[in-house]
Amino acid sequence: MVHNRPSKTLVSAGVLVYLFLYIPLAVVVIFSFNDSKLNAEWVGFTWKWYEKLIHNENILRAAGNSLIIAIISAAMATVLGTLAGLAIHRGRQKWLPALVLGPIAMPDILIGVSLLLMFILLNVSLGSVSIILAHVSFCIGFVALAVQSRLAGMDQSLIEAARDLGASPWQSFRLISLPLLMPGIIAGALMAFTLSIDDFVITFFTAGVGSSTLPLEIYSMVKIAVTPEVNAVSTLLMLVTLTLITVLSKISPTVLRQ
Amino acid sequence: MNRAERLRNHLMALPPALYLLLFFAVPSVMMLFASFRYPGEYGGLAPWYYIEDGQLSLDFTLENWLRLFESGIYLGLLFKSLGYALLTTLICTIMAYPLALMIARSQKRFRDLLLLLVILPFWSNFLVRIYAWMIIFSPQGALTIGLNHVTGALGLEPISLMFSSTAVITCLVYVHLPFMILPLYANLEKHDNRLLDAAQDLGANRFQCFWLITWPQSLPGIYAGAILVFIPSLGIFAIPDLLGGTNGIMIGNVIKQQFVESRDWPFGSVLSLVLTGITLLLVLLAAKLGKTGGANSGT
Amino acid sequence: MKKLLCCFVLCLSQFAMAEKALHLFNWNDYIAEDTVTRFEALCDCKVVQDYFSATEEMMAKLLAGGGDYDVVIPTQNAVEALVKQGFLMPLDKSKLSNIGNSAAGYMNKAYDPGNVYSLPYAFTTTLIGYNENKIAELGIDPADWSIIFDPAVLTKIKGKVTVMDDVEELFGAALKYLGYSINDTDEKHLKEAQAVILKAKPYWAAFNSSSYIKELTVGNIWVAHGYSSDMFQARADAAEAKRDFTVNFVLPKQGAVLALDNMVIPKKARSPELAHMFINFMMDPQNAAELTTIVGTGNPNAAATPFIDEDILKITAIFPTPELQAKLETVAARNAKERRLANKLWTEIKVR
Repeated sequence: MVHNRPSKTLVSAGVLVYLFLYIPLAVVVIFSFNDSKLNAEWVGFTWKWYEKLIHNENILRAAGNSLIIAIISAAMATVLGTLAGLAIHRGRQKWLPALVLGPIAMPDILIGVSLLLMFILLNVSLGSVSIILAHVSFCIGFVALAVQSRLAGMDQSLIEAARDLGASPWQSFRLISLPLLMPGIIAGALMAFTLSIDDFVITFFTAGVGSSTLPLEIYSMVKIAVTPEVNAVSTLLMLVTLTLITVLSKISPTVLRQ
Repeated sequence: MNRAERLRNHLMALPPALYLLLFFAVPSVMMLFASFRYPGEYGGLAPWYYIEDGQLSLDFTLENWLRLFESGIYLGLLFKSLGYALLTTLICTIMAYPLALMIARSQKRFRDLLLLLVILPFWSNFLVRIYAWMIIFSPQGALTIGLNHVTGALGLEPISLMFSSTAVITCLVYVHLPFMILPLYANLEKHDNRLLDAAQDLGANRFQCFWLITWPQSLPGIYAGAILVFIPSLGIFAIPDLLGGTNGIMIGNVIKQQFVESRDWPFGSVLSLVLTGITLLLVLLAAKLGKTGGANSGT
Repeated sequence: MKKLLCCFVLCLSQFAMAEKALHLFNWNDYIAEDTVTRFEALCDCKVVQDYFSATEEMMAKLLAGGGDYDVVIPTQNAVEALVKQGFLMPLDKSKLSNIGNSAAGYMNKAYDPGNVYSLPYAFTTTLIGYNENKIAELGIDPADWSIIFDPAVLTKIKGKVTVMDDVEELFGAALKYLGYSINDTDEKHLKEAQAVILKAKPYWAAFNSSSYIKELTVGNIWVAHGYSSDMFQARADAAEAKRDFTVNFVLPKQGAVLALDNMVIPKKARSPELAHMFINFMMDPQNAAELTTIVGTGNPNAAATPFIDEDILKITAIFPTPELQAKLETVAARNAKERRLANKLWTEIKVR
């Protein structure tokens, strides 16, 4: 059974790839403690960029915007995506998968510019609303996929049994399908939330005055005023996601695997 | 299936379908229209009809499409972007393969952890990951200075990593690598190790085992990964924008330029539609490959 | 858990929906932090800033429905275009008690006769910022556009040069280098300028309108094409960080672009009241002076002069002498056809 264990060469190659994945992020974290505005070489240790960050209202406001937008988009996408997943599973509308999965297949920039074009031509003013509308459109597909993959593994006979025993379609859905689907729905909702809060490209084209999100703010920081404050934001963001993942994996270990 | 059930089915599909029609299909169609129009004087689009002497005339043009072929530069840009995306996909495959194989051959209890370690960096924001490379490639950074000590010792010209196509492709690989690792792992994990044992018993060496058994079986995983890497890297603009300098520009940058700087929406639409066309072709190709690939691995 | 999350969301939404805010759309690095803080204290509101780094970028954003900023700081030619578009709100002069502080030479210009819609904010020149030590070492004359356009000069500084990512500024510089006017609209001349740019492009590191202050200060690049105010900041930053070189800036002898930036209020502004307050605040001599002493802009506010260090007043790249002034030109508003041609040539440059 030699093939059950990776060879030494394989392990060392794997470790190299892991290093490639982690070194850049480590650099970002280390430089967030650099006591130099220019951030070109290491000067000394400081917490000051974190202090500055706490008082940076633009960043805090943007973080708040991001969170609100992500919660609303995720909620809307979860409802619509679950319906889409159920409908695709039953397979009555042959064109539906193309419509639902289309936004996933397209490069982000195409969704961004086409929505920008439409919003402007229809006189929809750009702001939080336009961002949410855009985010929902590309999140639906991901929720649908998560729900659908859950449906594919579900035992249909349970529902049939319930129907045979006299349950109405609504009852059988609410009492049997929905609870069974829940892990898929939650996974989809989390995915939608993450995609929305993390999105830069589509937001870039559909954002308006005063609706700047955290990724947009980071972009302008990276592009214009590159100080270690960017590193500090990034480090904090990584910490937040790390905690979230840990908590989630404690609550429901299966969710992450989806 | 009775009538009520069919109705319910349609009612279920209706809300998401309507939403996506409005916010995905309609914008795409509008873009198609826009590509045949003139840009407005102050941005946006010029009116699509005008009335002269009480007669209605439509104002559509092929000019924007002709501009695409007018000189070879836009096609050149397209090929360059395709080249970047292809190279990214190749490098991703080469880097992802050993890692995916290692995870697939690790003991079961470690696999989840090893996979999580692959996904973890990608929960950090996309821009943060680009920014990391901006620091690493900085001319005053340790990497560039170190490399230039080497080139200096060899009597070569000093090199610059920042603002180069090398920087762009490295970052493209970095950002898209997990999209290759995950499908590849999902495929490799399902392989039946008894085949390898049998081959070895019959006298095949390690290389033969890999080349004749593992590799052909893993092709569907590679196809899936390739499509997940190739399409997004083709449309990217932030990476060339921040790391590419004057020469590392891709089609995404030019699309962005038409929409947010030059205010030439019609030409921006033409470029976007070209990119859409390529994406659709690739998706169809992938669906086809996926089918035949799946059939092969089944036999 | 759910309750906790709710509290969290509520807290954050407090930030997101700040009570009173002035939305300012400004050039990057174009106002001192202290000035903003003082205005916030005065008006008891928040100043929310968005930045742009090119006129075209600003126009695209404004005309794409982003019109509800309270104050925008456009350059003269953009003011003209915005006025023509009917995009701006006439200023209520009764709310602007400091209006008399502006120097007469910067008022009542052709782009907005009678200052109905706009009041001068600051002016800059577009010039060459450079690493003094390196350029002296290599024996290059920085006061000449050849430093960014002539391949013979550029071979010595290959990969250490950035130029502006801005169609007006870069074409302006190239036209000046060729001896034409910045506002030359002759297609033949523009194509010549395009050829000059294309020939020099392989030697440039990047098109950069936003972070060259940092790149110069760190020493990543040695020559940058950019605004006088930015170079002023780069020089100060390099001195402050005790780099082992100095940064300086100079107007090329062929002449350059002069940009007169103005304060305007869009028609759709959400709080015109605050906007007027801000404009009046910025015309206060002391606040206006800060634009020069901290940000490094030229100052159209006559009353501000006593508050400005004499050393800065003597820098001719910021306050050009009359002889230099004669060689400077402001960019004129272009019609749709001219703009399309320029943008087409510009796109071709980017793509090639």
